[in-house]
Amino acid sequence: MSNTSGQATAFMALTPIQPGEEAALRSFLEALPQDGSPLARLAGTHFARWVILRDWVNDPSQPREERLESPYLIFTSNFDGPLDPYLDELCVKLTPEAREIWGRCVGCPPDATGPQLKAYLLHNKIDTGFFVAAYPNSTVAQVKAALAAREQLIAFAMRAQDMGPDELFRAFAEEF
Amino acid sequence: MAVDRSDIQGNVLRAYGSSYPCTAYVFAHVSDAGGGRAWLGSIAEAVSSDEEWRGSKPSSHRNIAVTCAGLRALGVPESVIGTFSDEFRQGMAARSEMLGDLGVSDPRHWDGGLGTGAAHVLVILNGRARDEIEAELASLRASIERAPGVSILHEQYAELLLVAGAAANVPAREQFGFADGAAQPAIAGVSDDAAAGGGVPLAGGAWRPLALGEFVLGYPDEDTLVDPQKRLPSAPADPLGRSGTYVVYRKLRQDVAPFRRVLRDAAARFVGGDEELLAAKVVGRWRNGTPLVTSPGRPDPGFSATAPGSNSFRYLDVDVDGRRCPLGAHIRRSNPRDGLGWPALDDAGLLSFRHRIIRRGVPYGPPLPADVLDDDGVDRGLVFVCFNASISRQFESVQLQWLNDGNGFHLGHDSDFLLGSPLGTGKMTVQGDPPFMLSPQGPFVTTRGGEYLFMPGIAALRALARGIGG
Repeated sequence: MSNTSGQATAFMALTPIQPGEEAALRSFLEALPQDGSPLARLAGTHFARWVILRDWVNDPSQPREERLESPYLIFTSNFDGPLDPYLDELCVKLTPEAREIWGRCVGCPPDATGPQLKAYLLHNKIDTGFFVAAYPNSTVAQVKAALAAREQLIAFAMRAQDMGPDELFRAFAEEF
Repeated sequence: MAVDRSDIQGNVLRAYGSSYPCTAYVFAHVSDAGGGRAWLGSIAEAVSSDEEWRGSKPSSHRNIAVTCAGLRALGVPESVIGTFSDEFRQGMAARSEMLGDLGVSDPRHWDGGLGTGAAHVLVILNGRARDEIEAELASLRASIERAPGVSILHEQYAELLLVAGAAANVPAREQFGFADGAAQPAIAGVSDDAAAGGGVPLAGGAWRPLALGEFVLGYPDEDTLVDPQKRLPSAPADPLGRSGTYVVYRKLRQDVAPFRRVLRDAAARFVGGDEELLAAKVVGRWRNGTPLVTSPGRPDPGFSATAPGSNSFRYLDVDVDGRRCPLGAHIRRSNPRDGLGWPALDDAGLLSFRHRIIRRGVPYGPPLPADVLDDDGVDRGLVFVCFNASISRQFESVQLQWLNDGNGFHLGHDSDFLLGSPLGTGKMTVQGDPPFMLSPQGPFVTTRGGEYLFMPGIAALRALARGIGG
């Protein structure tokens, strides 16, 4: 249950990055476009991100320094509906990027796509402790439609400010 | 920690005000570090501090600020520059997209080389009269001509629009015709008497002044007050860390005629056709500065911005739904006071008090004569200047979250109607029964240039002129 909030699901995968691949992975992620993000191909995505975890932060007051043995890649996504079909879709639609991203991680199947990639991500899945979705019962499509309806209604309300009752009735019926 | 006003530059804490209505801003470019430092040292001698004047009022004041490119041009090592805030080091132009400086406000169209990295040192001259300022300017220009490796990049003249025949406590107007600049944050040890209305609203109707470190670096700020270790907020490395402040400079062109036409046309559909009430609804104050919250029906003709309590009002006690002062009115956005809170939040100002700025803007260009509704093609507006300890937490938060967007006020993407923003919807709702909506308009305010600067303390300024080691 901790992975869901209403109909929304949270997913996280933590994968060690292969030795010497961190810089290339970082450059690839930084070059991804925010407008036209590959993650936007997955229409049910609310929020998603890749994070490179290079090392622990050591506080001067701790008794001894701790170091990660390798940098890690974190992938998190919050999306509509259950995990299984989302990962199926991800493992198809992100194929070009997946080779550049998880392909640089330890243990990733050489052909980083389809069922092999899905099995790899599930193997490295980390359950969520607590998850809150801002719109637990609304899908991304519903939120977008509601925003569009709001814009349409605002535009109508402004146009209709000076209308008498009959004209308002006609205009409303025509618009909506 | 007592305030050392002799080390803080003038006009930061205590406004020069209407005694010094004339201001010249001179941006200099430094191409030789040694020459630049020698020149800076020569002009830094006469910099005004925030101390009370001894004897008669000086005829003019000089103050100095530097951009990040300016620090570099003056030879400040990267190890010291790295201790300045990220946004200061990036500069305003680099953050234009986020700030909403798009389209006609894009840095590509800015005046006088602002935003290109060529602006290094800003000298601000304040004077009692235009001719006195001109004399000061001539001497400053001569000092730059004599200095090897220093040149003038851009000059801007600005002058307060004082209300003719009015007493000294009547606030000056900005180009749209509203009183401006009277409401400022109240600071502990500096302006405690202005706490009611200028400070932090507390539960039960009380107010308290803000910590000095919200505006002047090197002093405890609001975090320090509650930090058991009393660590000072981050400031640039010494010797630059004490008594300085970050400066936001923005030249904002105001298109007055279209603003007047929009008000006139919209007022024809507004309750009672009351154009002055509609104008007040856009701003949140009547033109003479009377707040709508305390005087929703008509302006108080005897309103004095400096009278005790004149700025002392809150939103949630009498105007939670914006029937008096609209939720999206300019002053309610730029300083929401307790308006972002909710009844169970017993610290009424908790969500707004870290986002205050000291404003020292001065209008530029001749005012459009009263009742003129046609464009005269004259460039006029406001040289917006503000001081804060953190540009991102203070100025940028106000600009981005409160003026350019409406989400924080449950207004969707509505932006400030007066400033407009290409990022928002551009419409404004005046709450009422029924509500009244102002249609989206082209921007009345265009950014013509801007820089993020650092105004060092007096000792820091001299250290900068002597040269700072790594």
